Amino acid sequence: MKATLPPAGTDKATLPHQLAANAAQWPDAVAAREKAFGIWRTFTWAQCLRDTRALALGLRTLGVGPGDVVALLGQNRPEWVFGEIAAHACGALSLGIYRDSLAEEVGYLIDFCRVKVVLAEDEEQVDKLLELGDKTDSVQHIVYADPRGLWKHRGPDAPGGGDPRLLPLQELLDRGEAALRDDPPAWQRLLDAMDPDAVAVLCTTSGTTSHPKPAMLASAAFLGHAAEMLKIDPRRPGDEYVSVLPLPWIGEQVALGQWLLARFTFNFCEEAETATADLREIGPTALLWPPRAWESAAADVKARMMDAPWLKRVLYDWGLKLGHQAHDQGRVSALSQWLVGRALRDRLGFSRLASATTGGAPLGPDVFRFFRAIGVPLRQVYGQTELCGVYVMHAPTGDVDLATVGRPLPYVQLRIDNPDRNGLGEIVVRHPGMFRGFYRNDEATQADLRDGWMHTGDAGILRGDGELVVVDRVRDLARLSNGDGFSPQFIENKLKFSPYVGECVALGDGRDFITALVCIRFSIVSKWAEKNRLAFTTYSDLSARPEVAALLRREVEAVNAQLPAAQRVRRFFLLYKELDPDDGELTRTRKVRRGTINERYGFLIDALYEGREQVDVDTTITLADGRKSRIVTRLTLQVPEPTPAEVHA
Amino acid sequence: MLPTPEPHHALLAAEGVTLEFKGVRALHDVSFKVRPGELFSIIGPNGAGKTSLLNCVSGRYQPTRGAIRFDGQLISGRSPAIRAQLGIARTFQNLALFAHMSVIDNIKVGRHHLLKKGFLAGGLYWLTGARDEELEHHAAVEEVIDFLEIQAIRNRAAGTLSYGLRKRVELARAVAAKPKLLLLDEPMAGMNLEEKEDMARYIHDLSREWAMTIVMIEHDMGVVMDMSDRVMVLNFGEKIAEGTPAEVSAHPQVRAAYLGGE
Repeated sequence: MKATLPPAGTDKATLPHQLAANAAQWPDAVAAREKAFGIWRTFTWAQCLRDTRALALGLRTLGVGPGDVVALLGQNRPEWVFGEIAAHACGALSLGIYRDSLAEEVGYLIDFCRVKVVLAEDEEQVDKLLELGDKTDSVQHIVYADPRGLWKHRGPDAPGGGDPRLLPLQELLDRGEAALRDDPPAWQRLLDAMDPDAVAVLCTTSGTTSHPKPAMLASAAFLGHAAEMLKIDPRRPGDEYVSVLPLPWIGEQVALGQWLLARFTFNFCEEAETATADLREIGPTALLWPPRAWESAAADVKARMMDAPWLKRVLYDWGLKLGHQAHDQGRVSALSQWLVGRALRDRLGFSRLASATTGGAPLGPDVFRFFRAIGVPLRQVYGQTELCGVYVMHAPTGDVDLATVGRPLPYVQLRIDNPDRNGLGEIVVRHPGMFRGFYRNDEATQADLRDGWMHTGDAGILRGDGELVVVDRVRDLARLSNGDGFSPQFIENKLKFSPYVGECVALGDGRDFITALVCIRFSIVSKWAEKNRLAFTTYSDLSARPEVAALLRREVEAVNAQLPAAQRVRRFFLLYKELDPDDGELTRTRKVRRGTINERYGFLIDALYEGREQVDVDTTITLADGRKSRIVTRLTLQVPEPTPAEVHA
Repeated sequence: MLPTPEPHHALLAAEGVTLEFKGVRALHDVSFKVRPGELFSIIGPNGAGKTSLLNCVSGRYQPTRGAIRFDGQLISGRSPAIRAQLGIARTFQNLALFAHMSVIDNIKVGRHHLLKKGFLAGGLYWLTGARDEELEHHAAVEEVIDFLEIQAIRNRAAGTLSYGLRKRVELARAVAAKPKLLLLDEPMAGMNLEEKEDMARYIHDLSREWAMTIVMIEHDMGVVMDMSDRVMVLNFGEKIAEGTPAEVSAHPQVRAAYLGGE
C-alpha cells in the first residue's frame, strides 16, 4: 500500500517540501499568526520558510542528522512548528512532549528515544531537563526560546559557568543564517536528501495504562492521511484555525499537515490562559476539541446563565428549548437562533465555525445536543494516534446521528473482530496513512499490529448503514454479576454534564449494581455555596457538606432517570480531592486511569458495596507545588432516590 | 547583567535623616547607601519607621533634618512628582489601584508623567506625534504585562481581581516607567505561599534581568534573607545594623529586637 498524494508544486510529500512549495508560490500570503504583547503578528509563508530553513541549518551545525531525534517541549508557538519541520529537513525525527509533563515523564521519553537536541520554550522546561541530570545523557544541546531567568544556568553570572548544553534559539537561528550565507545550496541539498517514506514524526500515545509509546509516522503517509481527511472536510486559504490543543497530540499534528496542504491560517494564542479570549478574537472556521473542552465550554455557559438576571434566564431557557425541539425534528428554529444561538456563538467565538469536531473520547449526548441546538455544527470524529488520528467522521453537512461517530474515510479498511450477538466486538483497522510501529518497541508493535491490521482495543459496532458506533475500550466494558453489560464511561459522561460534577468514576464490574465516586466541580459548587450562604474552607470541606451532598444527589437522580434500569447509580461517595493527572489518576488528556483508582480508593469502593454509612479518611495528598497536605475527613454514603417508575414497581 | 558598582558610588544615599511629628520621633539620624543594581531590604519591628523612611525617599514626607541624594542629586525638599520624573517609583503597603479601571489603564497611569503631548496635541492625534507617543507607551506597558505574566487579565477591571493579582498589577504600574529605583512597601503582605513565591520570582527577575535597583520593606524573613544583597535593620527609628543577610542575622541586637532573641 502506498499513500497517494498530489503535492502542489513539489515532487516529494514531506512537510519541508510542502512548506518550501507554499513559500515559492504564495510568499506573501498569511500563513500563521501569533499573539504577542497583545497584538496579533502575522507570518507569511516566506517568513515561515526563512525561519524553518535557518533552524534546520542551525540544527545541522549541532550535528543533527538522519535518524536522530529532536524533542519539542513547550507551548504551541510558531517556533515549535518550525522546529518540527526543520528536524524533518535534517532527516531527523520530531518528538513532541506535552509541556505540562512532570520532569520524570519528560526524562522517560527523552531517555527512551535517545533524544539528541531539545527545543525547549523557557526556563520552566529547561529546569525540568537540568533537574533530570544523568537521565538525559543522550541530550547534547538544549535550545531555549525565551531567555528569561536562564542567566542562572548560562552566561557570566551562572554558578560554575552554567550548563554547556544550553543555547539560545536566536543563536541557533543566527548560526543557520550564517551557514546559509556560506553555502546557499545547503537547504536544497537537505530537501533532496529527504526520503518521504522515512519515519519523520514520533507521536506519543496517550498512555492510559502505562508509559506513553511513541508511534512512528512516515512523512508521505502522514501528509497523505491529512489530504484524505481534507477530501471529506475541506479547508481553504483564508480559513482560520486556532491552535489550542497541545501540539504533541496527534490531532494537532494532523492539523499541521492540513495547514501545509490547504494553506489556512494557523493562529497561536498568547498564553494558555488567554486561549478563550484569543479564540473569540480570531473566530475560527474549524475546531477540533476533545470532549472535555466542549463539556467545559457548555458548563461555563450554564454557570454564567445561573448568574444572569431572571429575564435573560427565562429567555435563554425558552430559546434553548425551542432550539432543542427544532433540532430533534431536523429543523432550525430561526427564533431560537435569533434569541440565544447567535449571541452564544459570538460569546464563545464560534460565529464563523463551519467545521466543529470532537474526538478522543465519547462526548455526552447532552453536550452534543446543546451545541447543535445553538447552531454549532458539532460532529463526532474517531481515531487513534497509531492510525494517524481521525479516520472515521460524520460528513460536515447533513444530519448527524449522535449515536455514531460517522463513517470511515473512503481509503480506510475497517472490520469488527470477535463480534458478539449484537455485533459488538473489537475495531480493527488498516489504511495507508497508519503508523509503522512503535519506536524502539517491537513487542508493543507486534501486540497491536498483526498482519498489517491495527487492533485498536476499542469495542464497537459497524452498523448496516456503514456508520460506526464506538462503545468503549474492549477491556473497559464491564458486566454486572447478572451479566448485564455496561460502559462506565457512558455513565460518567452523563454525570459530568451536570455543572456541579467535575470528575467521576462509575464502578460495578462483577458487582450487583453500579456505584460511583464523584468529584464536585469546585469553581461552580463554591459559587453555589456562596449564593446559598454556605461557609466552607477547602475543597474537602466543601465536598463534605450535607447541603452539597443533597445537591449532588439530586443531580445523580436526574441522570438516573435517563439511564436504563441496570445502569443507574445506586450509591456514591463525594471524593475529598479532585482527580489529578499529577497523581496519576487521570491521563494528561484527562481520561480516568481505572487501575490507579481501584487501587488508591479500594477502601471506598469496598465501603460502597458493603453499604457502610460513614467512612473516616485520614490521608496525605501532594499539592501542585510539591508540598504534602494531610486530609482528615468523614465521607457519608449517598443513596439517590429511586426513579418514580421504580417506586411504582 | 549586574553593573559593577564603583566602591563609593551610590544611587541612593540618606545622610542623617531624622523625621519628627510634633515631638514624636519616627526616625533618628538614619544613614545608608544603596548601590546601583542592588536589592536592599529594610526590616524591623512594627513601628520601627520603615515606611516613614520609604516615604522620605519617595517624597511623601520631608525629613526634619538630614539629606537624601538620588543619583548624586539632592532630592530632599523636592516634590514627589519631581522624584518620579527623576526615576523613583513605588508600591504601597495597602493597595492603591483604580478599581474601576482596567489593568492596562492602571499600568498606563504609571507612565503618565512621561507623556509629553497634552490635551491639544492629543486632539490633533496624527499630526502632532501623539499617535507615535501612544504606541510607544503601549509597547512599554505590554512589555511589563508580558514580564509579569498578566496577559490573561489585561482587560479586566482591577477591582475584580484577587488580592495577589492586584498586588502584581500594582508592581506592574510601578515598573512601567522603568524607574532607576523601585521602592516596594511589603510587596508580599497578606499573600499565600504560592502568591509569595510568584512575587519573589518577579522581584528577583526585575533585579537580575532588568538590573533594577530595589529597596524593599518586607516582614517575611525567609524572603528577605534569600533575596537581598544587603539588609538594614531599624528599631524605634534608629538603624541598628546593616550588612549582608548573613551578617545581619548574626548581629546580637538584631536577634534581640527582631528575630526574637536567643
